[in-house]
Amino acid sequence: MSALALLALLCTQARSASEGHPSLALRACVGESAPPSRLAVIQKAPGFALTDQSGKAVGSASLKGKVLLVSFVFTTCNGSCPATTHRMGLVQRELKAHGLLAGDRVRLLSITLDPKRDTAEVLRHYMRLYDADPASWSFLTGPPAEVAKVIAAWGMWAKPTANGQLDHPSRVFLVDRRGDVREIYNLEFLRPAWVAEDVRLLLSEKE
Amino acid sequence: MSARLQRSLAAACLAALALGLIGLLICPPVGAETCLSPFVKRLDRPEKYLYVYCVDADAKDNDFLIVIDVDRNSKGFGKVIHKLDLGSKGNETHHFGFTDDRTRIWGLTLFSNRVFLIDVATDPARPRLEKVIENFGAKAGLASPHSAYALPGRMLISFLSGKDGGLPAGMAEFTNDGKFIRKWTFPKEAPYGYDVAIKPNLNRMVTSGFTYYDNYKKPMAQMDFKKFGNDLLVWDFRQRKVLAKLRTGAAPLECRWSLKEGANHGFTNCALDNSLWVWEGKADGSYSARKLCDTGKLPADLRQSPDDRFLYVSCFASDEIQQWDVSDLQKPRLHSTLKLAIQPNMMHVTGDGKRMYITNSLLSTLDRPGEFWVKLAHVGPDGMKLVPDFHVDLNKFKTGPARGHDMLLN
Repeated sequence: MSALALLALLCTQARSASEGHPSLALRACVGESAPPSRLAVIQKAPGFALTDQSGKAVGSASLKGKVLLVSFVFTTCNGSCPATTHRMGLVQRELKAHGLLAGDRVRLLSITLDPKRDTAEVLRHYMRLYDADPASWSFLTGPPAEVAKVIAAWGMWAKPTANGQLDHPSRVFLVDRRGDVREIYNLEFLRPAWVAEDVRLLLSEKE
Repeated sequence: MSARLQRSLAAACLAALALGLIGLLICPPVGAETCLSPFVKRLDRPEKYLYVYCVDADAKDNDFLIVIDVDRNSKGFGKVIHKLDLGSKGNETHHFGFTDDRTRIWGLTLFSNRVFLIDVATDPARPRLEKVIENFGAKAGLASPHSAYALPGRMLISFLSGKDGGLPAGMAEFTNDGKFIRKWTFPKEAPYGYDVAIKPNLNRMVTSGFTYYDNYKKPMAQMDFKKFGNDLLVWDFRQRKVLAKLRTGAAPLECRWSLKEGANHGFTNCALDNSLWVWEGKADGSYSARKLCDTGKLPADLRQSPDDRFLYVSCFASDEIQQWDVSDLQKPRLHSTLKLAIQPNMMHVTGDGKRMYITNSLLSTLDRPGEFWVKLAHVGPDGMKLVPDFHVDLNKFKTGPARGHDMLLN
């Protein structure tokens, strides 16, 4: 039996076995090459230059070469932001537990959608409430016009609502060490174990 | 009370609040629109506008989108208040879908490979054509874009054909403004494409299979009915990998995951088998599919009630909508039937599950001659009943009759 015939037989058997059962055989037997990564490049991460909760300048230039997890929230939000920040906290603990925060290779960033109210002091207080570890997680603000540019560049938006809140999309961006967005999570996909798996994959890639 | 204790209490309260919010946000409350991608922002109020994606019936004039006032407190209730000319004809404008943030509609086409990006944020009552993408899918080697399914910050599009109008079909992801990201390839043994549905908490996706351009472009009498899909594919969504191929009746179309928390099953309508099928996940991670019930003829669309009790099935060839009670998957029961004059097709159930909008065009090559319209029915445990004073006539535009197909609410 030739190698080709053997492969065909194996594929036939694998396909048969895959009917109704978990199997990766289908993809393996269709003759296609595996994609380079399950996390495709979605877009270039826009640059930014803002200040953190201690007033220190933080920007994409100073974070070059790190894996970034970037959320957009505001501290007086009573919509999705508390849940997002809570989840980000769980992610931070998961990453720490797996040693993925060692060596300052991974940073979490939360950019305010409401820079007028979210001053550095307000952000510091908010971080304490969520037990955010500033060693690897920064909350960023800046002049409203500058923050507005950053929000728009990331494809985000924030619109005032009648009840004094801000309507906004809920997205968290995962950026690789080359500065490419590789995943966009909503709350359901912002699971600590899944994010850790994705971060580990990005750290395993060449810079 | 010490400052430290105060902080601890505040943190505990915040954590509880956040957990509650996570629960609310992850498990869409009863009242969420059931037929949209779970990643689309939900309306937090009753609908005001109904968008209907229309084909110029004789393909001599441009296709368009109309806006119908569906605000029940408005004097213009039930009237067409805006018509957006899409700038070209013969597109077979078919399905469309919101981006995740509900600011934009992606309007797909089955004959022209054009995609219309429509801004519905600036003025929801007067949508604006923002961009037209020609030869859409070319970078993925795909054609005939069918389902526009929102992912966080991007769109997943299912295509019915390869670039030459044949098989295999496939899927591809795009940024919300239309830039190609990646292609998903279908296995050779299940090369047909149609719908897609994701159950995020399970990390599972299901796709279905119709037929391809070179076949569906023909008049019905000339179509080869052996060349239609009869499988569902179950995918690991995060890995973008097929886990299982499930045999169903011919032409499984819409994919609807159960909305119940923790449920691991879903439904599809097999158009050429006149049946509903259910796919079910087992404890060992495997999946199977079985026929749930026989339906009327040519079940073309499938919708759910928000409480997951009812399935609504439009039976295009027997001129009826059937309401199936599927609360017991072993004993599905025909709960009620709504007879309509001719070929009901697309349906759209409102967030509160009390109203359903209906159109009656399937495809230019499949429609029977007749009047085209948009109707509204009250739906629920009491059955389905047409609202008599809501009838939008699609036959009297200056450009002549229009075939209304997919609908979205805003």
